[in-house]
Amino acid sequence: MNEEKKNYKNLKDYTEEVYKCTKCGLCQSVCPVYKATGLETAVSRGKFTLLNGVINGKLKFNKKIAKNLELCLGCKACYDFCPSGISAEEIIAAARHESLKINGIGFIKQFILDNFKSNFRLGLLKIGLDFYKTLQINKISEFLVKFLGKAGKYITLFNSQLREHIKYKKLKPVKPQSELNIVYFPGCINNYVNSSIKNSVLMVLEKNGFKAVIPENFTCCGIAARSSGDFQSFSELAENNINQIPNNVDYIITDCASCGSVWEFYPDFVSQNLVDKAKILAGKTININKFLAEREIYFPENAEISKKITYHDPCHLKRFQKVFEEPRNILKQIQGIDFREMKDADVCCGAAGTFCVSQPEISQAISAKKAQNIIDTKADIVCTSCAGCKIGLSQGLIEKNSTISIYNPVELIAELYLTDEK
Amino acid sequence: MLSKKLQFKSKKMPKFKSNINDKIINSLKAILGNQNVLTDYEDRYVYAYDATAIGEDLYLPDIVVLPENKEQICEIARIANENKIPIVTRAAGTNLVGGCIPLKGGIILHLSKMNKILNIDKDNLICTAQPGVAVGQLQQEVENVGLFYPPDPASLKVSTIGGSIAQSSGGPRGFKYGTTKDYVLGLEIVLSDGTLLKTGGTTVKNVTGYNLTQLFVGSEGTLGIIVEATLKLIPKPEEQQVMLAYFESMNQAAETITNIISAKITPATLDIMDKKTMETIENFHHTGLPTDMEAVLVIETDGFKESVKIQTRQIIDICNKFGAKNIKVSQNQQEADELWFARRSAFGAVARLRPNVLTEDAVVPRDKIPEFISKTREIFDKYNLTVCIMGHAGDGNIHPNVSLDLRNKEEAENFEKAAEELFDAAIELGGSLSGEHGIGMLKSGFMKKALDEASIKYMKEIKKLFDPKDILNPGKIFHE
Repeated sequence: MNEEKKNYKNLKDYTEEVYKCTKCGLCQSVCPVYKATGLETAVSRGKFTLLNGVINGKLKFNKKIAKNLELCLGCKACYDFCPSGISAEEIIAAARHESLKINGIGFIKQFILDNFKSNFRLGLLKIGLDFYKTLQINKISEFLVKFLGKAGKYITLFNSQLREHIKYKKLKPVKPQSELNIVYFPGCINNYVNSSIKNSVLMVLEKNGFKAVIPENFTCCGIAARSSGDFQSFSELAENNINQIPNNVDYIITDCASCGSVWEFYPDFVSQNLVDKAKILAGKTININKFLAEREIYFPENAEISKKITYHDPCHLKRFQKVFEEPRNILKQIQGIDFREMKDADVCCGAAGTFCVSQPEISQAISAKKAQNIIDTKADIVCTSCAGCKIGLSQGLIEKNSTISIYNPVELIAELYLTDEK
Repeated sequence: MLSKKLQFKSKKMPKFKSNINDKIINSLKAILGNQNVLTDYEDRYVYAYDATAIGEDLYLPDIVVLPENKEQICEIARIANENKIPIVTRAAGTNLVGGCIPLKGGIILHLSKMNKILNIDKDNLICTAQPGVAVGQLQQEVENVGLFYPPDPASLKVSTIGGSIAQSSGGPRGFKYGTTKDYVLGLEIVLSDGTLLKTGGTTVKNVTGYNLTQLFVGSEGTLGIIVEATLKLIPKPEEQQVMLAYFESMNQAAETITNIISAKITPATLDIMDKKTMETIENFHHTGLPTDMEAVLVIETDGFKESVKIQTRQIIDICNKFGAKNIKVSQNQQEADELWFARRSAFGAVARLRPNVLTEDAVVPRDKIPEFISKTREIFDKYNLTVCIMGHAGDGNIHPNVSLDLRNKEEAENFEKAAEELFDAAIELGGSLSGEHGIGMLKSGFMKKALDEASIKYMKEIKKLFDPKDILNPGKIFHE
């Protein structure tokens, strides 16, 4: 790891925050990891107890504590609930940062983070995936799934992420050209794995008279680096992304909840000369569903989607960006849709970035619970607005042998427009 | 040289506080599976606490086990009893008197995996649950079928059936509906020697021999381990209405309470908060409480629609007659929730004032409430401590919430002195040490103040009868 350039907040800076946990234990009622494991170390109260021990010198910051720090989704559900108003998500990220200096980050996580840091490596990934798709090996592997048991489920999960709902098509605008300067931040999945949502965002914006530019040199948003405590990488990615954006921008549109949530963190992680710009950009970042819901967009009269649909709230959208009504409002405006609210719609899907790789068993248990709630609505489609959640939802649905498909609301609108133009 | 010496020394340090050893740990692993037995220092460290603010003291358990069924608990008890190893039972760990703190090390029995509702019987109005079920979850599930489980400790979202029976918890609805003790029909208990005891039954009427069920309610884990409970349910009231009534003096509020009760009206809740509490809530949550009033009463009526209407009207008349400056009445569920939000935010608001918060719990006869509240204020003022006074006025149950920083030695000592004076004041007024939190480790030193010698003697005899080797939650209730 490189020498650190900046003074990030470390555990000592949170001494008072950690100490003021009253140990009331209310976090147990919302913590998905506690519900899956029943362990006191899994819930925020337990982590604050450990961190308080580390801060006052009663505990050594060893690998065992690092392991317990892994047991957090960063879903922020306990923050809404905490009588003392302590942000576990922020403190645990800082603690992981400190732990990483002492205990290292682990081979698998390091490998994943390194990939996200390099557009070149991601580009290689894309070539590989395109090859996989064009040769239709995925179709062949579907046949093999039955014989492969557990590994088969992973192949199904992998293939499910590649299925493209929407191919790009130039649509006829129905509204006059808008003057707004819009930058679209598509994120890694759109760029390298599956561009269906990106196609939809561009099509829906164009149809409604908005033009969005995508700067060429965007990198990964850095969310995984931040939550893993790799602050150095996060700040490099943050600075690069901020530098790509012209000063006169009106909106930065994102379709992935995680990619949207990082802009709020950027100001704390960039060099002094970029702080002001970072703060301004944080205020201009908007999720595509909110952007559309706030405007009178075009809903064709002669196109409908006769499906039962439910919606899953990504943590990074509901609790980090306070967007939860808007995607539902968009869905409810689509003709023919039977919208059904699921139980615990805003409980984490279990994927949580690298959590699904480092804690596969707990992650799958949480995803399975989510999937059951989706299945109980008898929906044909579950909508969400996050690349990470798409993995969590697929993971759970595949485990339950369900064929419910996953869409971003914006993909459904794009589909309406395609039907409309036929 | 020096480091060698230190190494030698550390080797001689006893590994465990209790009689536990590696052989016992292995047999526990054989019973429970490796994943349900925690021995790492870091894992045990988080079980050294419950919701009680005890400062920097550390009472580390030797081992933490997570049983999945009652048979496993029988075997654990048998091993613990044979080897004289303490067992401290715990579920959500929301105890406020240090009840779950393992004073003498030993085994923490964490019941988080025994969290299933086993049966809801709509015809007989009963349900059966494992001890780790959260009270709030049980309430929700029975309400879904039109039934009602009234006990409502403030922590009900997490606090459990087992814990609330062990502590005989109450809550705001105690005034009309009674507390946990009034809803326990039967228990399954693992005794200290591993015997599974079944008490009571599934009927509301039952006078077959001594009432052993009630002996275990409120026994704070010192007589046995509750592993299953059969609870009484009642039909869910058709409607609820909440009102807030503000007063310029504590006496007016108190007079209002007395007159509501003597008018033979029984609201579900009759809670009170003082000026400092209102100020603190407004400071953090902006719920629209006035900060220039001395007291607010939170009153909830429930029952059939017509009856709620009549009760509310009568209460409004009484409030007006005794000087209420303003009265707010909820017109729908959303407004009711908003009014309750103010009351429920009280603890959180106090928690934000200073790093630590200690919720005290004392009880006095209803008519002594104004006297007790002013005495409480006087005591804590004398010791320079910030106190927000709230409580269930209908039950004479007052919770002074003290906001402080226990790292400050002087404040911590002052708190102890003030707490003792507070209990003296409660007892002098004809009250007692605890309304609903229990005794645990924090109040055991005051038992002699509240009970006569014979009571304590027989309580200790009972303890000896059920737990001759003193392995069940040792050091609690009785001072050594």
